Amino acid sequence: MTMRHFNPTRRQLLTMIGQVAGAAAMYQAMTSMGFAGESGYAGPPNLQGPRTGRRVLILGAGIAGMAAAYEMQRAGYDVKILEYQDRTGGRCLTLRGGDRYTEMGGHEITCDFQGDGYLNAGPWRLPVHHRAVFDYCRRLGVALHPFIIKNNRAFLHSPNAFGGQPQRIGDVEKDMRGHVSELLAKALNQGGLDQAVTLEDREKLLEGLKGWGVLNGDYTYRASDATGGVRGWDIPPGGGLMPEASPSQPTDLSALLQSGLWGQLFGFNSYSFEPPMFEPAGGMDAITDAFAREVEDVVQLNARVIRIAQGDDSVTVTYEDGGRGGTVREETADWCICTIPLSVLAQLEVDCSDAMRKAIAAVPYASAFKVGLEFRRRFWEEDDGILGGVSYTDLPLVQIAYPNYGFLSEGPAVLQAAYDTATGGRSFTYSWSSMTPQERIDAALALGRQIHPQYDAEFLSGTSWVWHRVDWSLGCYGQWTDDLRDIHYRRLCEIDNRLVLAGEHCSHIPAWLEGSLLSALDAIKRLDQRENA
Amino acid sequence: MTLKLLYSVAAICLLATNAPAQEATPPAQDTGPRLTRFSEDPDRFTQTDGEALYRTTCQACHMEDAKGAMGAGAHPPLAGNPKMRSKHFLAGVILTGYHGMPRFGHMMSDEQVASVTNYVRSNFGHDYPDTMTAAEVAGLRPPEDSD
Repeated sequence: MTMRHFNPTRRQLLTMIGQVAGAAAMYQAMTSMGFAGESGYAGPPNLQGPRTGRRVLILGAGIAGMAAAYEMQRAGYDVKILEYQDRTGGRCLTLRGGDRYTEMGGHEITCDFQGDGYLNAGPWRLPVHHRAVFDYCRRLGVALHPFIIKNNRAFLHSPNAFGGQPQRIGDVEKDMRGHVSELLAKALNQGGLDQAVTLEDREKLLEGLKGWGVLNGDYTYRASDATGGVRGWDIPPGGGLMPEASPSQPTDLSALLQSGLWGQLFGFNSYSFEPPMFEPAGGMDAITDAFAREVEDVVQLNARVIRIAQGDDSVTVTYEDGGRGGTVREETADWCICTIPLSVLAQLEVDCSDAMRKAIAAVPYASAFKVGLEFRRRFWEEDDGILGGVSYTDLPLVQIAYPNYGFLSEGPAVLQAAYDTATGGRSFTYSWSSMTPQERIDAALALGRQIHPQYDAEFLSGTSWVWHRVDWSLGCYGQWTDDLRDIHYRRLCEIDNRLVLAGEHCSHIPAWLEGSLLSALDAIKRLDQRENA
Repeated sequence: MTLKLLYSVAAICLLATNAPAQEATPPAQDTGPRLTRFSEDPDRFTQTDGEALYRTTCQACHMEDAKGAMGAGAHPPLAGNPKMRSKHFLAGVILTGYHGMPRFGHMMSDEQVASVTNYVRSNFGHDYPDTMTAAEVAGLRPPEDSD
């Protein structure tokens, strides 16, 4: 006799769960099967806590260090954080009027913004699938508002296309969709796709292309009342006796293809930049400030770690109290969680396995910079109708981001006027990093006025940030490659006797707050398991 | 006028780079200036002169005077650094990166790597007589870099 096994597909199984136990249970099941799971975050870490008093020394008061301290303290561990800077937050950093910072090399960055505008030097927008960040914002009471990642009114620009005139994102996108739909309809109608598409599907596809690309009855993409309703108007519908509406004219396919602007749209396809995105009201440091409020009693600022020594049952960290050249002191603990960026850690004396030491030294740190400019008025809103969002250009400034707060208000406002990272693969970020703060502002103005000529009349002051000139990070984020990960990642993240590393560099989401948080949560879970093994 | 001052003047001088010869049709309006520090090609550095390459790459961390800088961590000095004795070491580091330093091999040609290597080794108090050739750089290049 053979037993007949019912081997349901995942969809059958979920349908069964849904019918029997309801939608909530089905969602839970989906999550555990990895369907609806959006990051590795599975809720607060639920630590068991130590069986007897245990001391944990955390190096670095960025989001990883503070999250580790917050959760371990709640679980009953005795924690202390040593932080090099005179502030908490690490690379989650917001520049506001009155801020001063002396870069490596001695140049002073000034920020003299007069209004409430700010520049987020590091992270500046949150994807909704970064579930850990959102959960901590909820738990710690950080108010979020929408971050407009895609504004169809914002610009795509190339100095070599359309006479240097910026084009609206929505126009380029809709025209490309219209032209491609027209071409595909043509190919279908000429039988060019008979091998690939059945007769029934052909009719459905043609019908769909007509709607999707806003094609006319003859399957062409031409200005019509229908395109007006999708692409907009040269003369918009008005009131009373105002002139008759007239649709805007699509741009020719060839001109669009040659402009390269189509390619600037591809960034919007990225899962990381899927709308809606969010940001904390008042600056990204609201998140790390919220953590700091929870752990401030255990943070010691101005402590420069110089050595991590391990014994069998303890770890001793030597630091200079007051920064480089300060009084040398020691702290001993049962465990050490080190969130110091690898670029800096590679220069310290660390007792650890050979494999971990090699991993620490193996990861290059990526180049990244930003320039913020304050203007007398919101000309991008008043003159160009751009409320929030980001414009993209082939110019070395790469992108201009408009504030997603204070819409239509009077008085000064701040643009994130230039930004790029090494991830983009462009050479520009190194060139910006080699400039003095004044040269960066001059460059952002000289380049940006090609997109917004109002720069000249409205400029008030500027500030900037170059991550390679920050002595506590020596770069922006761990620039992993697949090859480096294959060799080093596991050994970097494993507990080494009494030491474990955490931070964005110990994650598969480098440079994002979520990566730092997940790394910290995973590290403390493993420590807690080791403690209770 | 010192070289440094001269350079900073040059850096804020704006040069029109859209030479009409490169355009099929001249743009309707002046597409404006680019700062000389930036490369013409976003994917690669386009400067060929060793000093210009130094100013737009190495200088970000090793600074105008090649003395590096120090804080929590340090960017090591190139000036007076005995490791500069080996042209192969320096060119290799530029090609492949070193510890926290990113690689530049994929953004510079053999000629460019040779040129910036020679610039560093004959300035900042250095006067090494042996120079690097593009062919020697090609020999140091890891296989995946050659394109």
